[in-house]
Amino acid sequence: MNAPTLHLNLLRANERLSSSPVRLRVMLPILAVLACVACLVWWGALVGQLMLVKAQNGTMQKDLDDKNVQHGGIRNQMENLRNVQAELDQLTMYVNGRRTYGGLFMHLADVVPEGLQLMALEIPEPPVQNLLPPGAKPGPKVKPLLGPTETTENVTLRIIGRAPLNKPVETLMNALEGSTFTNALVIAKDVPPNLASPRILSFTQEDKASVDGVRQLMFDVEYRCWERRFEK
Amino acid sequence: MKAEAYQDPSALLKRALFRSLVIGAVAVVIYLFCVEPCQTSLDKAREENVALRDQENEMERDLRGAGQVKSRLAAVTAGRQVYLDGLLEPLLESYAMRAKSLLDPLAADVGLTISNYAEGPVRRLPLPQHQAPQLYARQPIRLTCTGSYATIVSFLLRVEEKMPLVSLQAFSLKTQKDVDNQSALIVLEWPIKGENTAAAKGGVKK
Repeated sequence: MNAPTLHLNLLRANERLSSSPVRLRVMLPILAVLACVACLVWWGALVGQLMLVKAQNGTMQKDLDDKNVQHGGIRNQMENLRNVQAELDQLTMYVNGRRTYGGLFMHLADVVPEGLQLMALEIPEPPVQNLLPPGAKPGPKVKPLLGPTETTENVTLRIIGRAPLNKPVETLMNALEGSTFTNALVIAKDVPPNLASPRILSFTQEDKASVDGVRQLMFDVEYRCWERRFEK
Repeated sequence: MKAEAYQDPSALLKRALFRSLVIGAVAVVIYLFCVEPCQTSLDKAREENVALRDQENEMERDLRGAGQVKSRLAAVTAGRQVYLDGLLEPLLESYAMRAKSLLDPLAADVGLTISNYAEGPVRRLPLPQHQAPQLYARQPIRLTCTGSYATIVSFLLRVEEKMPLVSLQAFSLKTQKDVDNQSALIVLEWPIKGENTAAAKGGVKK
């Protein structure tokens, strides 16, 4: 009974009643060691992966550095292309907003009826551009925009003249509705008055008779021309 | 194992518990100071890897499309050149002077007298989506001229035919008694080089 290696019943009463055949004092250190080993294995695996990924990154970085000079040239060309394209776009906007009226004035002379005298033809200058940022009020500190936000510009043609009767004026207005003119002039009837074209601004009879004894009718008609669209 | 231990089985459990705690603590230390930082480094390295891969793909795509970019650049530059040739360049720092040098021969051909050339206020063009460093604008030139209606119209037709970038901005003709001496105000506009934002930025840097 004095021998130190003699096995005694080391189970405690609660251990004897336990369903687990392995004792807690054996299990706990084993589990702790397993956890420790698992952590070490996990760390090892991570270190391995890290080294692999870093090696890949190093190779890729070297590749990129090698191609960088060549790529820099391409990038410059691409940037240049974007800039030239943008310049071309802006110039195209201008060209799309270009309007010609030489043909209109040439054919106008052919359709003026006898007895009607044109006194003035006018395409007014467009209003001053609004270069204020949206919502900004004019002031010394407000920096104007580099370009207007509005891409269209309205154009009108005013025809002022006189005739002994209203018939020649009607003839002229009917002629201006022909296809020769509608590529420049807008004909819009049965629309709200502010959108109508032509618009008769005034139609008055002169107070005094002219040399031939006829009181002339003065007319002032405004035609809307196709708007200038500065769009691509 | 000492004999006392057999007398007190709970001492064995306590010792086992203590050892387990120490080993567990070591495991926690390994996790916190080795595994966790290593995982963070690995995540970062993977992100870097993805970024490098994207960069490499983009680079390869750009390099593959180099020929296409070159040919497109040549085509777009040629397209722009057509317009650049029609721009109004100042003569002796005056756009009106340049316009005079261009329009006087046309006016002389049709017999129109242009008595005055004046520059109007520059009008800006809307900006395209990508803003280029070089912008363009519209330069109106006011012409005061005298001639018959036919010569004025002939002049306009010639300008429109010979100068495909010139546009009529405004026109005013008031008839005079002498049909051969009608007075007209013609406002023609040309595209011109506008602001150079790159130069402006460079100026600010200086």
